[in-house]
Amino acid sequence: MKPTPFFLVLLALGLALILSLAIGSVFLSPVELWDALRGQGIQTAMQILWDIRLPRTVLVALTGAALGGSGAAYQGLFRNPLADPFLIGVASGAGLGAVIAMSVKWPYSFWGLMAIPMAAFVAALLTVFIVYFLARVGQTVPTTNLILAGVAFSSFATSLTSFLMLRSTGEVRRALGWLLGGASQSGWTAIIAMTPYLIIGLGILTLSGHALNLLQFGDDQAQQLGLNVGRAKTVMLIAASLATAAAVAFSGIIGFIGLIVPHVMRLWFGADYRRLLPLSIIGGAIALLVSDVIARVVLAPQEIPVGIVTALAGAPFFLWVLRRTKNQGFW
Amino acid sequence: MFRKILVLTLLAALLAGCGPAVAATQSPSTAAPIHVQTEAPTAAPTVAPTPAGVTLTDGLGREVKLASPAQKVVSLAPSNTEILFAIGAGSQVVGRDEFSDFPAEAKLVASVGGSMGKYSTEQIVALKPDLVLAAEINSPELVKELEGLGLTVYYLKNPTTIEEMYKNLNIVGQLTGHDTTDLVNSLKARVAAVDAKIATVTTKPSVFYEIDAPAANKPYTYGPGSFGDLLIARAGGTNIGNTLKDAYPQISLEQIVASNPSIILLGDSNYGATAEAVKTRAGWSGIAAVKSGQIFPIDDNIISRPGPRLVDGLEQLAKLFHPDLFK
Repeated sequence: MKPTPFFLVLLALGLALILSLAIGSVFLSPVELWDALRGQGIQTAMQILWDIRLPRTVLVALTGAALGGSGAAYQGLFRNPLADPFLIGVASGAGLGAVIAMSVKWPYSFWGLMAIPMAAFVAALLTVFIVYFLARVGQTVPTTNLILAGVAFSSFATSLTSFLMLRSTGEVRRALGWLLGGASQSGWTAIIAMTPYLIIGLGILTLSGHALNLLQFGDDQAQQLGLNVGRAKTVMLIAASLATAAAVAFSGIIGFIGLIVPHVMRLWFGADYRRLLPLSIIGGAIALLVSDVIARVVLAPQEIPVGIVTALAGAPFFLWVLRRTKNQGFW
Repeated sequence: MFRKILVLTLLAALLAGCGPAVAATQSPSTAAPIHVQTEAPTAAPTVAPTPAGVTLTDGLGREVKLASPAQKVVSLAPSNTEILFAIGAGSQVVGRDEFSDFPAEAKLVASVGGSMGKYSTEQIVALKPDLVLAAEINSPELVKELEGLGLTVYYLKNPTTIEEMYKNLNIVGQLTGHDTTDLVNSLKARVAAVDAKIATVTTKPSVFYEIDAPAANKPYTYGPGSFGDLLIARAGGTNIGNTLKDAYPQISLEQIVASNPSIILLGDSNYGATAEAVKTRAGWSGIAAVKSGQIFPIDDNIISRPGPRLVDGLEQLAKLFHPDLFK
């Protein structure tokens, strides 16, 4: 019996999760790992596995899932193969929010430290809001306008961020570290804060597969086929932006996952969005998990920001997949 | 349908806003005086502090308690590593950041990462330190992360004067069980000697300190509020960057030419900048320092790392500015 795509992908996810738990900058032998899993290992091994690797694995998987899912949604919404979750300014808005928040001397407390991700989250959503209203023409939001407004606003936010970073001498290192991405928070706080938004955002997107399929025919056609185009686009935009904003607020800006994973899934499993969306969600988790393992290990004990690994590894991988399936008209 | 989704979204947003029920960390105290088991200043400097508990308030306002002086320390900044070795705690350092390169013995200690702000928490945990010594280049998020893993972290704030640097030496001495009186006294004596000579100075040369010049017409220099600016002034020079606003500003070539410094210091000599290269830069040939050849390389680490080598930096600067006084 031919294994279904979901079986294959879930198997790959399981492997990636195990890989992420087993590999890190400190080498733990399989025996030590097994002992630690059962709760009988040496203290250091248990601490590394349960307090460092497990929360990090979950956070990375959730972030990858959010980026993969919203990437697929954006590509379907904009009918553009170059669309990624940061197209309409979520990343640049989050970066600006975070850097502004970092220039304030928050007290060292739980909420003082949460201020940065919260500011990033709010700023990201605000950016999408502004871009949306900038792009509106009467009752509709033409996709071209959205892209243009998004690109323009992104440039503005990015340059403002750079300017602020240059002016504030003490915070540049901290801001750079945040912007380059990577799961810098161990512990469960980030995961607990992110999960509601991911459930809502990705949940809505998974249910929107049919609507996205209809949108591929064009706005007018979809309208005639019975879809309330304006409402569907708005809902999906909000859902995708919520998920992306939550992911970016805690993990920084990680590129390529949202762009490449949906394409790979489309090349392998077809362009039916009812299937493509959940596959991209799982695929995004796998891709980011693997990238994170590489980021931890390649120059140990030095960790590379994961955004660099996704760019370096993602592009060649995508080109390889592209070449292997060049006979299919995939877009 | 849309309305239902909207309501659900708002509900979830409200719930998420309540936040996880995490026990709040210690509330930050205002800059409190250090609570310390003081040893009476003794004339016999060989008295070691009795191994008693240490309770201090660190640079983030956190209260840090040690049952006994730390025997295994991980340093997260090159300045902390230098301090630890200088006070005699070198053998207690079990981990250091990637960039700790002084003294040479520090390079033999295990590295825990640190480039682009990313440290390997796994490595730090595996070393099982009694104390992690962080500096201002480490983010509060990192401190929180290590705290959450059960480690004792002390955040050493950067000094803004040389006298505050002595305080930092004392703090690290208490944390590791070393008497720093001798070290601090010898540093004070050296600084006093420089101060005494500089007090007799009548003219102060104008100095341009180049931190880095990726673009030769807009190099980075020390401005008001930076330690480099402080040291240059204390060593009897006038920093032309002092008139700018930021602590690490870019200064335009026009401004350099207009200020016409008589001495140029190359803080980027560690990265290959040479006096010859500066002489060939377009537009620099009219500057007094270039014409007279008074362009000197200097190790930026002794000017910018907030440790005991700042005194070395002060002495070197004073010698360069007033060679006749420091034969």
